[in-house]
Amino acid sequence: MNSINLKINGEDCPVDVKTHWSLAYVIREKIGLTGTKTGCEMGTCGSCTILMDGKPVFSCLRMAVDAEGHEWTTIEGIEGDDELHPLQQTFIDDHGMQCGYCTPGMIIAAKALLEENPEPTESEVRKAIAGHLCRCGTYVRIVKSIMNAAEIARS
Amino acid sequence: MRDETSIIGKSLPLIDGYEKVTGRLKYAGDIPPLQRMHYAKVLRSPYAHAKVVHIDTSAAEALPGVSAVITHKDEITGKKKTCNSPWHDFSFNFRGPMISQEVCYVGDEVAVVSAIDEDVAKEAIKLIEVEYEELPAIFDMEESIKPGAPQVHPWGPNALDPSVFEWGDIEEGFKEADHIIENRITMGNQQHAPLDRNSCMAHWEGDKVSIWTSTQALFWIRDAVTEFFELSPNKVRVHSTPTGGSFGLWWGNNFMFLAVALARKAKRPVRLILTRDEVMTTVKRREKPLIDAKIGIKKDGTMVSQSYRHLMDNGAYGNKFDPYQSVADIYTTKHGRAEFIGVATNLLPAGCMRGVGDLTLAYAMEQTIDMAAEKIGMDPVEFRLKNHWQTGDICHTSQEVLFAKLLFNKTPEVELTSSGLAECISKGAEKIGWKDKWKGWGKPSSVDGHKIRGVGMGISTHISGLAFFGFNGITLKVNPDGTMVLTTGIGRMGQGGDTTQAMVAAEVMGVELEDINVVDGDTEVVGHTMVTFGSNGMHMVSRATKAAAEHAKEQLLEFAAKELEANPEDLDIKNRRIYVKGTEDVGIELKELMSKPIYEYLAAPEVIGSASKGVEFHKAGKMMMADFAEIEIDTRTAQMKVIKFVAYHDSGTVVNPAVCENQVAGGYYQSMGLCTTENLVFDDETGAILNPNFMDYKVVGPMDMPDPEIYFGEVYDEDGPFGAKGIGEGVTCAVPIAISSAVYNALGVRIDPPMTPEKILDALKSKGR
Repeated sequence: MNSINLKINGEDCPVDVKTHWSLAYVIREKIGLTGTKTGCEMGTCGSCTILMDGKPVFSCLRMAVDAEGHEWTTIEGIEGDDELHPLQQTFIDDHGMQCGYCTPGMIIAAKALLEENPEPTESEVRKAIAGHLCRCGTYVRIVKSIMNAAEIARS
Repeated sequence: MRDETSIIGKSLPLIDGYEKVTGRLKYAGDIPPLQRMHYAKVLRSPYAHAKVVHIDTSAAEALPGVSAVITHKDEITGKKKTCNSPWHDFSFNFRGPMISQEVCYVGDEVAVVSAIDEDVAKEAIKLIEVEYEELPAIFDMEESIKPGAPQVHPWGPNALDPSVFEWGDIEEGFKEADHIIENRITMGNQQHAPLDRNSCMAHWEGDKVSIWTSTQALFWIRDAVTEFFELSPNKVRVHSTPTGGSFGLWWGNNFMFLAVALARKAKRPVRLILTRDEVMTTVKRREKPLIDAKIGIKKDGTMVSQSYRHLMDNGAYGNKFDPYQSVADIYTTKHGRAEFIGVATNLLPAGCMRGVGDLTLAYAMEQTIDMAAEKIGMDPVEFRLKNHWQTGDICHTSQEVLFAKLLFNKTPEVELTSSGLAECISKGAEKIGWKDKWKGWGKPSSVDGHKIRGVGMGISTHISGLAFFGFNGITLKVNPDGTMVLTTGIGRMGQGGDTTQAMVAAEVMGVELEDINVVDGDTEVVGHTMVTFGSNGMHMVSRATKAAAEHAKEQLLEFAAKELEANPEDLDIKNRRIYVKGTEDVGIELKELMSKPIYEYLAAPEVIGSASKGVEFHKAGKMMMADFAEIEIDTRTAQMKVIKFVAYHDSGTVVNPAVCENQVAGGYYQSMGLCTTENLVFDDETGAILNPNFMDYKVVGPMDMPDPEIYFGEVYDEDGPFGAKGIGEGVTCAVPIAISSAVYNALGVRIDPPMTPEKILDALKSKGR
């Protein structure tokens, strides 16, 4: 076991990890933030996406033991005190989800996009979520949710 | 008659949307571990067919941290069959024992271990010594049904008894025909491939077991565990969580029962969570079809006779032997025959996946019908408009007819309640621009250098539930402030079933959707509800939801009548207020009524509406789909892409347009996958699946295809609550034929799914391009 301190959503999370544990596993199973999903555990579905210092990464491909010294943001860390993040609100309003399993990863990827590019085109939105699967096939409305959130954030 | 509604017909947000966007929604794998819980891992067979002649688990059991190991040697897992008759099989997993000494496919369970953590469980699995005696395996349906073929599993024949439907005089029918067209189709192996990896947590307290798993089959799991472990239903409590997609995958599956057996032996809670590989190689896939179709038509395009022989590859433990739906009726003919035969192979078990038999049979029928139309030089749109199913027609191949025969030895007639096909076909054709793009059979719409375009279309139908899925018991409780709690066993697989059921209740009760909480997924709390499959939710379950709400409303109006000194029948509710019809300013707020003490009782009222309703099967509401595709093939790369796709569907009243559009889009993307890149590849030598992950089994992604254009017909189904029919499954059914037909018209060659570049290249070569 290795004792490390992970900074997640602005909080210190001291945790003992084995060297082969992925960051996604530790976030879910040891820290208890189960909003981060693990659909494939091999970097092919996008559902475990979290932010590393503001950039989206697949947390299933990161080793927990190597995760100290970064600011990590999960889906649990993006809403404000009294209100949802605009992306969360537009995903609800525009039905940007069906089963909801891909939703946290999609929202995290979209958040990173909008911070870098507040006025994305539809094609830029699609590229930003290109590594994310939605098996329910909700792409039309996921893209719409992200475009509308961008517009709300700008106004 | 169309109702005036204030909730039904609006794209209201999902009631669990907040939980989903904040990551708070708990799928089975997200439920916090119970105290003392152990983790399970499965040892699986590397052989497609073998006998376990020796198994030594002593080293695994001796490993510190291991709590239990189960194998075929255990009484409960190895000796008893999980079901006794193929049709009364709750688990839809006709597999003999839970762990068989004779393993029947690569991935079949050999042993299961529980340990203090997953690392120890994995270590223990490696310490189990197994000696196998390989047995002959069979991977091909046609080989499997030949006399003398090796037996796939030890307890029965390779082919189940066929289910046969006949009407009119089939031979006479073909004699009447001017043209007879025969055709054979098959498809690849599609897998449900939901993103979620399911898990099952089981915990015994004395002789009572509690189970937590993601499923669309709440009561089936309870009943299967009850039957198998010989318990009373009041000793089995199943908690079902939403599924991270299901599409037919998460019913009663063997891994759930293994967790239950293991937890009992380990004397502690046990959780088994599947890996991605296990989700794709050890649960289920869509049945691969092999269909021989024969259609007889008159010179003028009138269909007179149709016959189908539908083989379904069930894999090692699937048990499909019936059509499940009634697609063969979509063209009404005087004479017909449909035969369905489930065939076992030593491959991954197969079972229902979204669209099931309607997708496969519609594909076979529609392609054969295209060939018939081509024979007489008729436009496919015209042919379908001439022959399609209409309101009041008879459903000859309905599964209900089969079940009436099996259970009561009767052959009743089932009548179709509504058909919007005429509208869907003709308006869909307008939307795709059929008149301009259709140039005749096997003729491209346009050729631009190396790019060839073609158009195609197809229709299908799908059940909106079946009566024998059972009764629905629903309650609606009114809180002191006028908010309400709806209890239902409806599954939550992303189809928004909880939202749309709550919309039905809110509509009846004259309140807002946000006023209604839904409690679901607990067999000890909610009434028996149909397993959420076969698109039964809106057409069937909501009959009980509506009736429960009407029952609650009746009670409310009686309390209000006393308060307002009026007759209950003169009252109604809207905008959370009960009022006197005609003099709307006389009334009382729901909140006031529910919180105000009544003199006789010195207490405020309590209102609980309830209803338990079965569905009479003599009339059947089916959804109808007409899909149109325009595709483009690049002759240099043999790549096919969709340029435009129009889905024109009849689901009766569209209860929540956003939910329904998402369903249609999802069905399109999934069937698009079936047509192009989705195909489980089985190794010819071993029967092992070679692509059990999203890298190699490619699901359609956000960059892959254009979005479909979606339209709904103006249809009101008199039997459906508020005129609604089903939607969830049928959305996949007509996509493959529309695409395949478009490819035919572009290339002049018929290609079955998956339509890979390799097959397209061969087609191009055969045409000298």
